Amino acid sequence: MKTNMRTYYMYLFLFLMAATIFIPLYVSVMGGFKTVGELRTNALGLPSNWNFDNYLSILSNNKFWLYLWNSVVYAIGTTFFVLLFASMTAFVFAHVKFAGNRFLYNYFLLGLLFPFATAILPLFLRVRDFGLLGTSWAVILPQIAFGLGFAIILFRGFFKQMPSELFDAAFVDGCTYAQFYFRFTLPLSTPILATVSVITLTGSWNNYLLPLIMINDESLYSWPMGIMVFRGEYFTDWSKVLAYVSLTLVPAVIFFFALQKFIVAGLTGGAVKE
Amino acid sequence: MKSQKFDVILNRYSTLIIFLIPALTVFTLFVVLPIGEAAYYSFYRWNGYGYPEKFVGFKNYAYLFKNRVFIMSLKNNFYIIALSLFVQLPFALLVALMISDKIKGATFFRTIFFLPYILAEIVAGLIWAYIYDGNYGLVAAIWGFFGIDPIFMVGDKDLALIAILIVIFWKYFGIHMMIYIAGLQAISKEVLEAAKVDGAGPFTIAWRIKIPILLPTIRLSVFLSILGSLQLFDIIMPLTGGGPSNVTHSMVTYLYYFGVMRMKFGFGSAVGVIIFLICFTIAIAYQRILMRND
Amino acid sequence: MKLFLKIFILAFALLSFTSANAVTIKWLHLNAENSPNMPGILKAVAEYEAKTGNTVELQYLENESFKAKLPTMLQSNDRPDIFYSWSGGVMYDQARAGFLRDVSGVVSDDYLSTLSAAAANAFTFEGQRVGIPTHVAQVAWWYNKDLVNQAGVDVSKIIYWEDLLEAVKQIKSAGITPICLGGKDKWPVHFIWTHLHIRNGGQDLFLESLNNGGWGRPEYVKSGEQMLELVALEPFQKGYLAATWPDQAGMFGDGKCAMALMGNWMYGSQAANSASGEGLGDDNMGMFNMPATKGGLGDPGDTLGGINGWLFSSSAPDEAVELIMHYVSKETQSVDAANGAYIPVVKGADTSIKNPFLKQVAGNIANSKYHQIFYDQFLGADIGRVVNDVSTDLAAGIISPEEATAQVQESWEFNQ
Repeated sequence: MKTNMRTYYMYLFLFLMAATIFIPLYVSVMGGFKTVGELRTNALGLPSNWNFDNYLSILSNNKFWLYLWNSVVYAIGTTFFVLLFASMTAFVFAHVKFAGNRFLYNYFLLGLLFPFATAILPLFLRVRDFGLLGTSWAVILPQIAFGLGFAIILFRGFFKQMPSELFDAAFVDGCTYAQFYFRFTLPLSTPILATVSVITLTGSWNNYLLPLIMINDESLYSWPMGIMVFRGEYFTDWSKVLAYVSLTLVPAVIFFFALQKFIVAGLTGGAVKE
Repeated sequence: MKSQKFDVILNRYSTLIIFLIPALTVFTLFVVLPIGEAAYYSFYRWNGYGYPEKFVGFKNYAYLFKNRVFIMSLKNNFYIIALSLFVQLPFALLVALMISDKIKGATFFRTIFFLPYILAEIVAGLIWAYIYDGNYGLVAAIWGFFGIDPIFMVGDKDLALIAILIVIFWKYFGIHMMIYIAGLQAISKEVLEAAKVDGAGPFTIAWRIKIPILLPTIRLSVFLSILGSLQLFDIIMPLTGGGPSNVTHSMVTYLYYFGVMRMKFGFGSAVGVIIFLICFTIAIAYQRILMRND
Repeated sequence: MKLFLKIFILAFALLSFTSANAVTIKWLHLNAENSPNMPGILKAVAEYEAKTGNTVELQYLENESFKAKLPTMLQSNDRPDIFYSWSGGVMYDQARAGFLRDVSGVVSDDYLSTLSAAAANAFTFEGQRVGIPTHVAQVAWWYNKDLVNQAGVDVSKIIYWEDLLEAVKQIKSAGITPICLGGKDKWPVHFIWTHLHIRNGGQDLFLESLNNGGWGRPEYVKSGEQMLELVALEPFQKGYLAATWPDQAGMFGDGKCAMALMGNWMYGSQAANSASGEGLGDDNMGMFNMPATKGGLGDPGDTLGGINGWLFSSSAPDEAVELIMHYVSKETQSVDAANGAYIPVVKGADTSIKNPFLKQVAGNIANSKYHQIFYDQFLGADIGRVVNDVSTDLAAGIISPEEATAQVQESWEFNQ
């Protein structure tokens, strides 16, 4: 009986927490269906009239899809290169003994210690001097650079967990590092690749400040920049903003659901065993 | 024999070079050099146009150390760290312990708790700005239900920081929970079985076995939490913008508000350098004291 | 196949040739889709494109994002040819850094004479003409007639600051919120403090302070004291420090407070932000100027407000200037003025203003000898924001008038 009470309280606690965490999200999604006036009078409840206008007008607006597409391009571009570069780098740190291994690893960790806001102007000037301003690379390259640190930590941890017998055996057979990397490491790294992907994709997807500074051409706007299209100088249409925000949640949630098994597996796979 | 050894060395060094160069290049160009440049700019007065010209030495730094608002933002950052370490992480651990045991609905709870993390910070800030609105937001509706006059948390000097802390908790609780779940699921089943056989109850198992094994994970989570807290920015802007009366600034919002928006980029760079130095010191201290992490 | 290819190449070449002569002009503005300014812009663009064969690219940015992006944007190759400006210090910085183009050669004297001289001058810097004005605005006390009558207040009797304080007391004791204020956005608050500066100090003192410092003068400290007198009466709505400008406008439009010190754009905003979307309606609104202060060096007819317009970036082609000259014309401005979009700067367009409030404002500005551009724009990005900050701190009752002026002085010195 004692166990049942405990279980009961545990579930109660979990449900209450879930409710609290979930309510803000629920309110936003519902908010998109209400009029601005109703947002004020009926914040918590279901909309009295399911006003599809906001959602529909956003979905039918070509700009919305354009911004989403741009965000997708930035996210995938960043993630691809982060996966490639970080795994290669972490591979070297995990398996190759050389002088300066530790030093270089710490060098990359510097990236975690630096708030992006400080780098805005220097980064802008660098991108400009390279002639990349106004291209997708202006967003992708800095994102790769800032994402490498954490990705390398995760990859290195995972690679170190791999059984060394595999490595020794392959080496005896005359396998080069590169061959080992492509033939063994990568295929076995699915969980950690997924984890790093989710984190990098999410980071890029949600990045507001960097595209704002780098992109001037409306046709390259990312979706967070689209929020301001719905907020005029003197008027904030809350229901439109909430609808927009709710819609942009959808891809993020889909990523998450698709890859959530891998996140835990990837984190388990050794990253957290550092 | 000789050629084989040569091959190995060649293999090793060519791999090193080829595998390391891409990351090194991008990272150096877009992270390290900008840090260096920011440090350089911090000694100038510069409004962002053209190139810096007015050298002012340590003036920017001197001003910072006396500035009431900056010192308050430092304090705020430490409050946030304290919240994370003493409220958020224990909570996340507690929930992780509950959920990792493959109870019914574990996936459901996991998903809900993790959702806020995948939201963009600016979106989370906007949603909560709406909720906290004393006139038209959720908070107002709730207070109204109880018949009390709504409290305008976001406009109250004393309560605004608490309002922000709540949102931070809401948003980041999930990622720490996930990290702990991962760590817990990696604990070998034999150990747990053995403990149960010995008659240990769930509390004892949690306290005596799981948590000790989890310590490295906890250390990582603490480290990330501290670094993340020091760099908090996107979430504060839509909620309070650092106000009211500049009491809710974090160091990074301070940088943005007093440096970037006021076109004082030399000054802003100085703030950035200080943030970097603090993070750097903590990282080194962490490594020395706790040895194993990073 | 080969023939087809030849024709294709020929056609392509012809097209390139014609389009090579056509110019693309990039025009960056801050007007949301439903803004009353847009119809005039769109019409002018269509007319211009048809007339010249050039293309105009309109680009929109929201207010705060625009201010954040400005320094980086002006240095990129994508920079707009034409962009919005509140003139003042921010414009001077841009001009000094060489990011603006001197268009004196393109703007003919004939055209210049169609504009109000004061407005045109606001867009010059050290003899260079860097932009063309488009509208002016004034800050005044908007009031809700119903509520004010309920409290038994006669606004025509408000001559001096003390009278205003009395009125506030009366309104408050009638159980009505006297003033709506958007404290979170700060700039609505700075109107109060700086308008008192204008009354207490006047134009000469301002210019003196601007050029030689001395923001701590007794006249300006007095403004702070007077503002604190107001704050002591607790005249603002609950939670005013958390209210944004749209909140303030909506509240006023919903009839939740008696007065608000705001620019003339309040007319449209209070309706747009109200719960019903209708606002107070013309009959129920009134406007009176900031009262005089006893012993003040300023003239009661001096006005606080804006002179807004369009700047040309350093790489702007002549065509961009011609486009703006086409847009800022008596024709367009009369139509816009009649729609209540703004107060025009082209001479004679103001007769088209139908809206009684805009008419009142136009008259005020025309008769004013000293029209001060909003401090937070005029003093530049840094000092301007300090002014906003200290005004809000005063409204929150957490600093003294001396401290407020001291901070402004400190910021001014830092920026010399």
